[in-house]
Amino acid sequence: MNCYVLGLALYPAVQRAAGHRLEEMVYHTAHAALDHAGIHRRELDHVTLGACDELDGRSISSMLLAMPAGAYLVDEIKVTDSAASALCLEVARLKSEEFDIGLVASWCKSSKTDVESVMRLRGEPFYTRPLGMNMTMSDAMLAQAVADQFGVSAAQADERVVKAYARASANPRGLAQAVPTLAEVTASPYEATPLRAMHRAPLSDGAVCMVVASQRWLDRHPQHRPLARIAGVGWAADSYRLDRSRLRDFNSARKAWAQALRMADLPDASSVDVMELETPTVYHEAAYEQVLGLGASTQISPSGGAFAQNPLFCTGLVGAAEAVLQVAGQAGAVQVPGVRRAAAHSCHGYAQQGNVFMIFEGAAHD
Amino acid sequence: MTEQVAVLSTWQSEFKLRHPSMTYVEQAQEAAAGCMAKVSMCPDDIDAIVYSLAPTAFMGVADADRWAIDHIFGAGKPMLRVHTGGATGGSVVQAAHALVRSGMYRTVMIVGAERISETPDAQKVLNQIFDPFYEKDMPLQTITAVALMANTYMRRHGITQEDVARLVVRQRRNALLNPHAHLKGNITVDDVMASPMIAYPFKLFDICPRSSGGAAMIVGNMDAARQWQTRPAFITGVGAVSDSNWIGDRIVPSAEYDFIDWKLMRVAGRAAFERAGITDPIHQVQVAEVYDAFSIQGLTQLEQLGFCASGTGFLLEGEGAWEMDGGQVAVCPSGGTLCTNPIAVAGLVRAIEAANQVMGTAGGHQVKNVRRSLATAVGGIAQFLTCSVFSHEPYEAH
Repeated sequence: MNCYVLGLALYPAVQRAAGHRLEEMVYHTAHAALDHAGIHRRELDHVTLGACDELDGRSISSMLLAMPAGAYLVDEIKVTDSAASALCLEVARLKSEEFDIGLVASWCKSSKTDVESVMRLRGEPFYTRPLGMNMTMSDAMLAQAVADQFGVSAAQADERVVKAYARASANPRGLAQAVPTLAEVTASPYEATPLRAMHRAPLSDGAVCMVVASQRWLDRHPQHRPLARIAGVGWAADSYRLDRSRLRDFNSARKAWAQALRMADLPDASSVDVMELETPTVYHEAAYEQVLGLGASTQISPSGGAFAQNPLFCTGLVGAAEAVLQVAGQAGAVQVPGVRRAAAHSCHGYAQQGNVFMIFEGAAHD
Repeated sequence: MTEQVAVLSTWQSEFKLRHPSMTYVEQAQEAAAGCMAKVSMCPDDIDAIVYSLAPTAFMGVADADRWAIDHIFGAGKPMLRVHTGGATGGSVVQAAHALVRSGMYRTVMIVGAERISETPDAQKVLNQIFDPFYEKDMPLQTITAVALMANTYMRRHGITQEDVARLVVRQRRNALLNPHAHLKGNITVDDVMASPMIAYPFKLFDICPRSSGGAAMIVGNMDAARQWQTRPAFITGVGAVSDSNWIGDRIVPSAEYDFIDWKLMRVAGRAAFERAGITDPIHQVQVAEVYDAFSIQGLTQLEQLGFCASGTGFLLEGEGAWEMDGGQVAVCPSGGTLCTNPIAVAGLVRAIEAANQVMGTAGGHQVKNVRRSLATAVGGIAQFLTCSVFSHEPYEAH
């Protein structure tokens, strides 16, 4: 059973969504995705949510957010790994043939969250938490490992920052931040060696929704034209231990990517024209390029990726939306010519403990 | 082409207030290893994992599933954590069902653990589930919210506290036969009535305990079932539904599904029954493991699932309709959530008990000649509902 993206919407990129409470952000984004797909909420037969209680500051955040996301009197389920993980489960739900048309929704109001407190709470209480482990420290440990394993120098990292912001500045769906000079990057303060402040993608507020449908639904509704076919998904989790092997080997990324390629019946990364990477730091980007075997034939994060907008937790699904727009030829100023297939990536947990890949191709549904 | 989904193995710990000899991740590991060992599977036989974990605030470790990955042999595997509040254990079964039925994975392990007594007052955490602007500052938590619902239901249908107490007596007695159950015993209606009043009409014995422990279930396709299980249970029907959080909107005449009578359960039940080919539940289903964190909750669900008319469940309780032996349907032969509530896996335990009944492995509380069973789960403020049907043979709805 083929699965298709029928419509999507992104909450306008903003560092602090002061005008809307979280429920309103989600409602407007879900509504816009349904409008984009040309369907009414009552046509949905299920909803799949990706959300994080701790970042939302609530014990069961979907209690208040499921309904604004369209999950009113329909089958609804929530995953908490990442927004991209929700799309993976969504694909399984459609392929199970129990459902036909659903909405995937995710959100994060980073500006209302003490993110590092949440990240410290991720630490198990015996060894990790007493060390004060948080997102900054774990990403810095990964950056050290990547610098050593893949030969990434500080200068190369600095250059990547400038390039990432340059791509992001062209994205009409991004924060439109000024492109820093190399001097500004090198002058930005260290947060944890070797990470400088500007090596890290700034957090923002956001929400993203996608309407997805089965081939069976499209056969019954020929007036609807999908944006893209979801050719493959893959996801995997890695060890919790931040040891040498865990930080250098990128095992879960390799396995998840292989799984997605296998499902899409593709031999390797050369078949993918665009890869939207979720890169909390530029060191992540450097590592994924090599780990995934991304060559010159694959454009990396033309949207600017996390440097365009970075609503923590749902950044990977924002990248998926950008990938869908690429294969649909609707990416606007960041459109890459002649894109047949585009992939998107998400990582989550301390130092990319989990990885998710999604591969989209032009919709050939008739 | 979709796959049949079979239950290959189940495992649950003894549930009690605390497990001081183990850490959280050791509890999860015990469940994962125990479930695999029962059918001689090893970690390499598990293709993917679905992790069952509700609010992490109970234990104080955000995303504790990530901490548990190494312990449950999950490193390198596809893993998802599902969280729909109290319905989590029902939702994980349905997520795993989708992963196998879709053909994406041959075997999926569902695993989780709960350690709710790490928090000194779970109800303070549960106050945080309500809206931060309008509701949270009122003394709302799950006990008071469900008590409000119970008051209206009982008044509407002329149900007395003694009527409800008879259910507590039956389920505590059932739990005597279940070595995993937390609360159990031969008690009387007078004992229930004499227990301390918590929130009218709920006395202490009307309310579930805070239980800690672990649970796991392995599901697989038909090929896996042939390899590892001679008598599997098949998951033949799944249904779920989500409603508004706002109680006020759900009790007014214009509400689409009346909150007080749990009409919403009809939606989840109808979806599950259609998929499982059930048209006459009271004659086709022999065991119902309904999620009843409070004494009022189980039979109200049963009414909406079509086992009896609205408002008659507690009257039929007095006639013995829900007894294990000689009843029309055995309701919660395990003792139910009322006797054991490890929130993160409570719905999973319901599913395990329902599957065990079909597989003939329920032990002392095995009901005779079970061909079909069902399990429900309830999350949020009775707004996330799941219903799953387990059958002795595959069924394909057309």
